[in-house]
Amino acid sequence: MIMKKIKWIALLLIVVLAYLGYNYIYQDHRNISEEKAAFSVTAVSLQEKFSNDTQASETKFLNKVIEITGQVSEINETDFTLDDAVFCSVDKSNALSKDNLSKTITIKGRCIGYDDLLEQIKLDQCTIIN
Amino acid sequence: MKKLIALSLLLSVNFAISQNKFLTKTGVVNFEASVPSFEEVKAKNENTTAILNTGNGEFAALVLVKGFRFKNALMEEHFNENYAESDEFPKATFKGTISNFNIEDLNSSEKEMEYNGTLTFHGKTKTLDANSIKITLNADNTISLSGEFKANVSDFDIKIPKVVSNKLSKTVDVSYNFTLTKK
Repeated sequence: MIMKKIKWIALLLIVVLAYLGYNYIYQDHRNISEEKAAFSVTAVSLQEKFSNDTQASETKFLNKVIEITGQVSEINETDFTLDDAVFCSVDKSNALSKDNLSKTITIKGRCIGYDDLLEQIKLDQCTIIN
Repeated sequence: MKKLIALSLLLSVNFAISQNKFLTKTGVVNFEASVPSFEEVKAKNENTTAILNTGNGEFAALVLVKGFRFKNALMEEHFNENYAESDEFPKATFKGTISNFNIEDLNSSEKEMEYNGTLTFHGKTKTLDANSIKITLNADNTISLSGEFKANVSDFDIKIPKVVSNKLSKTVDVSYNFTLTKK
């Protein structure tokens, strides 16, 4: 009787561990659009921070969700740019319509780094907030 | 007067240089280090900045390492934290010079040319000598650059733990595809 009980408990334990293990290995990607922004800045001030001290800014902003306000200076199918300073990559389904050009908007995205060839900060998985 | 001529010369040179740049901010770079019958180790970066100077055939691509997306979120996390150490080394660069480059030679059929260049990743630089690159001048006046090469994990000072060493290829296949617009 006790042996049977132990067997059942062991089985249950294995199932639970397998379930937890599976969920750990195949966990979901971060959902940037639902994460709360760690910083809220303007596109121009963010560019200033990065060009003044790239390394410190990288430590502070890399991989973080940032909310950025700026004027739309370029729009393409899967990206747009704010104030020629912040490049925002979006899914095709989230593309910004062309009539937003030179309007001021606020977006949220994940900072992937500083492009020193063009002196622009790059964000991916962006969503438009306002 | 001499000054004026010098100045106007300088300006026209500057003008000529700026006319020779083709660039993209959404270049694609893929890499794969899969081993058959194990889970694929593959990532894609769709936000690479690439510039080609059509005056001299020099090109440069800047890849933000955190922009590499994997199918598996945990693999992406491990890649960033343990292998690429992207907090410390957020940038990878791929640059080079295409030999005997002349924009006049380009047309809508794909041309294979040779370049000498370097790849910098994880703080280490490796030369890529006499590699081939495919170039096309498209009808809409954009230039397509594409190609592939192999990189050895050991050349970039990346340590692979024993437990996963049989699931990860020691040579990584890298491919790129840039569609550059005149700037």
